[in-house]
Amino acid sequence: MFNFLPMPATVIDVRQLTDKERLFTIRLDHGRSLRHRPCQFVLISLFGIGEAPISISSPPVDSGKTFELCIRSMGNLTNAMHKLSVNDKIGIRGPYGNGFPIEKIGGKDILIVAGGLGLAPLRSLIKHVLQERGRYKRVILLIGAKKPGDLLFREEVSEWERDPAIETHITVDAADPSWTRHVGVITGLFRHISIDPLKTIAAIVGPPVMYRFVIREILAKGVFEGNIYLDLERRMRCGIGKCGHCQINGIYLCQNGPVLSYLEARKLQEAL
Amino acid sequence: MDVTIEYHHIDRFIRCLLSHYDVIAPLAKEDRFIFDRIEDPAAVSPQYDTTLLPPVKWIYPNNEVLLEFDLRDITKAEVIAQGRPQALTFVHPCDINAINLMDEVLAEEPSDANYLTRRRSTVIIGYECLGPCKENHLCFDKGYHIAYKGFDLFFTDIGGRYYVHVATEAGREIVEEDGSFKKAAYDDWVDLMKARAERKKGFKKVIRGDLEMLSHHLKEAYHNEIWDIEGKKCLSCGACVIVCPTCYCFDVSDEICPDMEKGVRTRRWDGCQLRGFCKVASGENFRKDAAERVRHRVFKKEVYLKKRFGRSGCVGCGRCIDYCIAKISIIDIFNHVMDRVRENV
Repeated sequence: MFNFLPMPATVIDVRQLTDKERLFTIRLDHGRSLRHRPCQFVLISLFGIGEAPISISSPPVDSGKTFELCIRSMGNLTNAMHKLSVNDKIGIRGPYGNGFPIEKIGGKDILIVAGGLGLAPLRSLIKHVLQERGRYKRVILLIGAKKPGDLLFREEVSEWERDPAIETHITVDAADPSWTRHVGVITGLFRHISIDPLKTIAAIVGPPVMYRFVIREILAKGVFEGNIYLDLERRMRCGIGKCGHCQINGIYLCQNGPVLSYLEARKLQEAL
Repeated sequence: MDVTIEYHHIDRFIRCLLSHYDVIAPLAKEDRFIFDRIEDPAAVSPQYDTTLLPPVKWIYPNNEVLLEFDLRDITKAEVIAQGRPQALTFVHPCDINAINLMDEVLAEEPSDANYLTRRRSTVIIGYECLGPCKENHLCFDKGYHIAYKGFDLFFTDIGGRYYVHVATEAGREIVEEDGSFKKAAYDDWVDLMKARAERKKGFKKVIRGDLEMLSHHLKEAYHNEIWDIEGKKCLSCGACVIVCPTCYCFDVSDEICPDMEKGVRTRRWDGCQLRGFCKVASGENFRKDAAERVRHRVFKKEVYLKKRFGRSGCVGCGRCIDYCIAKISIIDIFNHVMDRVRENV
């Protein structure tokens, strides 16, 4: 039976990523491990303030020891979270959601499309793919941000750019004079890539408005609907498929999602 | 085992219940009825139409405490899942059917410990309505005017006395402890059959067409104009979902004691008809139009729950119609969809 008791955890490290986002490294107390999958989420709990769902940004392999959460200060809980420092205690429930179907995609080309904060959940997939690089063929990474200062995980992204094992393309909607990469919306990056549609698996996470345009581009390249995966984020409140906030049509994203293939999502009128 | 109890013994029976249970019973309040905890058997009014809130809310209460926590030490948080023994009495079949569905929804894994704990310590005493309580009810269309399970005892008024079906061990214990019950005789049974035959005549169908097909027709009507029409009327007050006996959406919030040391995490009822229900931190609202929300309510009852649990989530109690200040009627919506299908055939 499920109850709402969170597991106690400790903040191990806090890193400022941009002016709005911080990366928190968390360790569960009592030697517990999270055992999550890429694109799953946890509910962070601060007693007296409440709970909020946050995607896990670190890959499963590290999960035994610690995990990372990239948090934008937006609401009550995330603002309070930003005031925390090393050794502070938080509560964790989860991990929840189905996560990315990594078992099914071995031996394929992986196309990852991350818009804005979408890089936070996708970083768990990217790092997983890089750690088990041999399991996958080509890895293509498209990253979009509003402006250069909003780009998350800047050092890592630069490393990925230099890494020959991964083809990275980055764009911003509005550049500043120092910007040397692409400019324009993320769909513009599809001009620069060629993919083999028969063996490509796509993973998309971004702001709600982004999905349909990116899906259109990927479908135009000939990728199968069932091979395009979307991570849809809603206001997950309970994580157990009851409270109703994350329901889209007949499914609860916290249980049956947040990762859906486009083949599934297309049948849900409220999904996209 | 079936028994009977005479009208004038009901007081004694309730007094007997009171010695073991918190007794929750229908009682008159202003011009309506409510379910409330009683101390005095005389307060009970077994003859009632539909209560404002359904009895299931005593198993799924608002502002239920989930956790107690200590702001100074996170490890001191404790789960609160209590169930005082309670007896829900004189519960109509529609509301029993609603509880049956709630049991199934909340027992589905991951199951809800708070609900299940409370449910396990609850006995339910059903009460057969001998006709439709109001015009706005579609229980008969849905077959939810009869409850086949979900009660420990089930009372039917057969004139001068009640015929009592004893359905469970807990029910048997109650009956055996209280000396007011007599073993049902053949004549009692004949009177029961007569009462039920008479009862059946009172009900009439309010939905035009084959209800079995409703879920299918609704799916076809996803883009029907009815949602905009009803959405324009809807004030998004959420009354319909708060009075619904099969609505269980909730939100979780923390409250801190004035000592600033301890606090509680509570669950309060939430409703998909409220404007901010699907709003996320970024400001995006995934169901921002009233039309979408009205459609979601109807689909949740008639399509989504039906798909998951094999039966409709609307038990036909009519509360959402009674308490809608904008006069939105789920009966009118169903009929509109059914009529539209017939026009197109």
